Amino acid sequence: MSQLSGPEIKHSLRKLDYPLCAKEAIIKIGQLICNRVPSLKHMDLALDLMAELIFCEVDRRGNKRHSPLTSLDELQLLDILYDYLNNTSNETSRNAVFLSLFSGTTAMMRSAVLSKLVSVAVGIPSPTVLSSASVWMQQLGNTSHNSNQLAKALIKDYFVLSPNIVHKLNVLPHIAPQFTANFLTAIANMYFTDGKKEAFTFPSQNLLETITLWVNENSGLCIAAQQIQSSLPPGAIAMEATTPLAGLLRWCILAPIYNEDSDLYGKLHLGLLNSILEIPSTNPPRAISAAHLVQPVGIILRFLNDEQLKVKTTEQIVDKQKTLIENKLQLCLDRFAQAIQVALSINCVYGNMEDLFYQLQQLPQNRLLRIVIHTHKLNK
Amino acid sequence: MEAELLNLSDEEYVVQRAKRALKIDPVAAKAWMITAKTLYPNNFAVQFEAYKIEKDAGHLKEAAKYFSDLLGKFQQEPEFWQEIENVTAALRTEHDATDSEKHFLCEMFRHISFDVQHQLLLFTADHCEDAMEHCRLLLLLLQKFPTTISTHGPRLVDTLLSAEKHSHASNQPINPYRKLLVCDLLPLLATENTSVELSSKLLFKLLHKSTEFYLCSLDMSKSNIQDPNISVDDPWRKLFGIIELTGRHLGWESYLTTFGNNWTKESYWQKILTFCQTHKALTVEDHVNTKQLLYCLTVFFLHCLHDYNLSLSPEPCPGQIQTSFILVEGFSDVNLPNPASEPKSKRRKGESDNQTPFITVDKTENKNIIGNFQMAVNCWDLFHSSDHLQREFGKLNNHIKLDPWLLGFLIDYAIYKGRYDDALARLQQITDPHLQLAKNIRHASILYLRKNYTSSFEPLLLVIQSLPITNRGTLSTQLNAGGNQRHLHFLPITQMTVLQYCTKLLIRCIKDNMLKQPNNYNELSIGNMLVLLQLDWPQEEDLLPLIIDQIRQRGTFSYLLFQAYIINVDILEELTYLWTEQGGQITLDILPHLGQRRIGTRGADKGVKEEIKHTIKRQIARSNEPLDQLVVKFISQERGHILQSLM
Repeated sequence: MSQLSGPEIKHSLRKLDYPLCAKEAIIKIGQLICNRVPSLKHMDLALDLMAELIFCEVDRRGNKRHSPLTSLDELQLLDILYDYLNNTSNETSRNAVFLSLFSGTTAMMRSAVLSKLVSVAVGIPSPTVLSSASVWMQQLGNTSHNSNQLAKALIKDYFVLSPNIVHKLNVLPHIAPQFTANFLTAIANMYFTDGKKEAFTFPSQNLLETITLWVNENSGLCIAAQQIQSSLPPGAIAMEATTPLAGLLRWCILAPIYNEDSDLYGKLHLGLLNSILEIPSTNPPRAISAAHLVQPVGIILRFLNDEQLKVKTTEQIVDKQKTLIENKLQLCLDRFAQAIQVALSINCVYGNMEDLFYQLQQLPQNRLLRIVIHTHKLNK
Repeated sequence: MEAELLNLSDEEYVVQRAKRALKIDPVAAKAWMITAKTLYPNNFAVQFEAYKIEKDAGHLKEAAKYFSDLLGKFQQEPEFWQEIENVTAALRTEHDATDSEKHFLCEMFRHISFDVQHQLLLFTADHCEDAMEHCRLLLLLLQKFPTTISTHGPRLVDTLLSAEKHSHASNQPINPYRKLLVCDLLPLLATENTSVELSSKLLFKLLHKSTEFYLCSLDMSKSNIQDPNISVDDPWRKLFGIIELTGRHLGWESYLTTFGNNWTKESYWQKILTFCQTHKALTVEDHVNTKQLLYCLTVFFLHCLHDYNLSLSPEPCPGQIQTSFILVEGFSDVNLPNPASEPKSKRRKGESDNQTPFITVDKTENKNIIGNFQMAVNCWDLFHSSDHLQREFGKLNNHIKLDPWLLGFLIDYAIYKGRYDDALARLQQITDPHLQLAKNIRHASILYLRKNYTSSFEPLLLVIQSLPITNRGTLSTQLNAGGNQRHLHFLPITQMTVLQYCTKLLIRCIKDNMLKQPNNYNELSIGNMLVLLQLDWPQEEDLLPLIIDQIRQRGTFSYLLFQAYIINVDILEELTYLWTEQGGQITLDILPHLGQRRIGTRGADKGVKEEIKHTIKRQIARSNEPLDQLVVKFISQERGHILQSLM
């Protein structure tokens, strides 16, 4: 079949009905992409086949179709894709196909299929499919909008729609550690984030529980995605994974002042500190970005500003309430200082350290924070 | 409260926050503790406090981790040093750790990484001023980490050897260092898959030390010294283990160093014989094989010897008195059926019957004595089958000082081989008052064999005066054996058997002495023999016709001790018959006060005749008197008369 020209391949595949044509097309695509040196011509052909015969986005003339897949078609397609990926044992080939199926330009369009595919892989579970999904998240950026969409879909499937099977996810870090780590990074960026565009949101109880469990029981989980080199097709540049550490620490630091007073934040905080302690030393450091670590500063300052505004408008804030707020703030700052201290002591923070200290010094008075800043300024 | 915190130093502040949180929020307390630890990595107080907090909270994993961190950095801190000692102390009493803190420390130790555990034990051992303590700790290290055996094992061997040398216990084979070396360390070195470099010189030294130790511990257990620090379970198995170790290192024949579960003395003896046949171990040239044979044979011999000695004093049945056995020359009687004919067929060809005495023992349950003895004899013979091996054994003996062990056996061996001078010389060495009876019995027996009858009577009298009256026993039927082969017997040391043996010995002394007299007749000897024959009558009845015949030839029999000692009905009947007309009307001069008057051959003096009749009747009436008392009384009170019949 490899001798056949592009039009001939298309022609022969078009004779088949859906979903049989998709099933044959994905095999053909695999062959085209995974050639030792795929030519541009082959790549174009593969992309054409995907659009026309797999996702049915265009017709044979390349015009956009207005009625894409029916629910039944989609279900059959998921079955075909899952089978194909799950049975492709060569990691590089599998990742190459996955990345071209859901590339930066097509992922948004195909996100429905993508999130269902990954959701199935989580549920079954399939370490192979999840490992490709992990590489995908990493290559497109685990903090990117694409990853965010995927994470949202997964949370919806598992934590909102069927909360009674959440416990099944407890073992996910063992089945697919890299995927879980990238997934965590994506989740971390969904909550407690600066509410400029969207409202400030908080993770649900069951999500928080699961994450706390994951982190506490697997001290290496947070840096798992950094521990493995992705198997990528030739020519592709491996992207560094962002760890979920800074994002999750932000949750724990901010939780007190947002009245999220679940004990789980304390536990998660401790789990994160322990995870940081376990980070193997690297030169240069790569586990936590100073810019990410310092994110809560702005939020805390804005919060204080808002509180002060409230005081001004109501004028009569009770002393008791004042102390309460002060206590929450001190807990927030204590956690912040602890996180900074532990991360700095392990030397796993990279980026603009000057700025880090500068920003920290903008924060309200806290003895531990002062000790930490003092200690590390001395050490420099 | 806040003011209180304000006055604290930074270090104290952080630790204080952790302590305070401990009561209300243990999770937060841990976060504080981690912070403190990373903030002040070089501050012992902070680090130690962190450890104590985890320990008090009962957190094994965390305490273990903090302990490990401390060990890497703060070994010199006295406070932590104390804690290290607590851990090692807890480890050593692990089995009886009822104390909850000790239990915790042991559990914590298990959570420490192997490297750190190793480091901990090595470190404590190195810093231990007490040598014994140092060795114990190192041993603990080797037990916990078999991988360290190859590096630290030989070092510990050296340490223990020199510690023993410099301790005041150095001339005692049983001392704590030796115990540790032999019972604890060597078995570890002998563990399979352990590669340890040990020179052959050192191996032999260790073998010497072990043999000496186990022999002494066996002696001690025999003398009922129940010191739990010394008593050893199954010392032979352990000594065999050390042979295995040595053999493995020196490439010895594995069949000589294998002492598995179905090991038997007989099969091992065959292996030794095979070895001798297939190697030139008995010659000077083959030094390596000589050593191999020497050590295997020595340990095997000692094992056999130990079994032999044990079987000589078997454990009594509950409620009974322990009876020991000694090897003595038995008696042969050509008139009895030859019992040796049956075992002779079993014997290997080429062994001449004259050299192999027939050995008996009274009870079948004690038959094992014979086998044990024979095996020890086999070994001893093999030692002396070549000058070279004999010399080597002599050298080894100098090292491990076997002489006290060998003494008893060598006497038996000399008796067995008929080397009476040797046996006598060795008997002289016995000074132990408990062994005097055995010594005297054999002394008497040997002097009899050397036809030194009067001298033989001396130790015999000593025996009669010190009979084991608390252990009565019964008369033996095995002291006489048929045939004319040499007969050896394991004599039970009981009152009756010893008396019986002495009586038989005395009868033979008197008889043999009488037969060597020119006229072959001595009334006193005949009378004395008649008294003695009564004890185990009719065992010696074959002698009676001989005696009666002599009396008849003489026509007269005068024995003034008659009324006092002759009460056996059969003997009295025979004598009375001689006195009658049918019997030949022999003159019986048995009434002491009638000494001057000659009894008429034709019975002229009716009164005297009546008196003799009465006397005989009176003697018959006494026939139920206890004979052992009678014989004992005779031997001890009539020694003058007896001596006369021995000269």
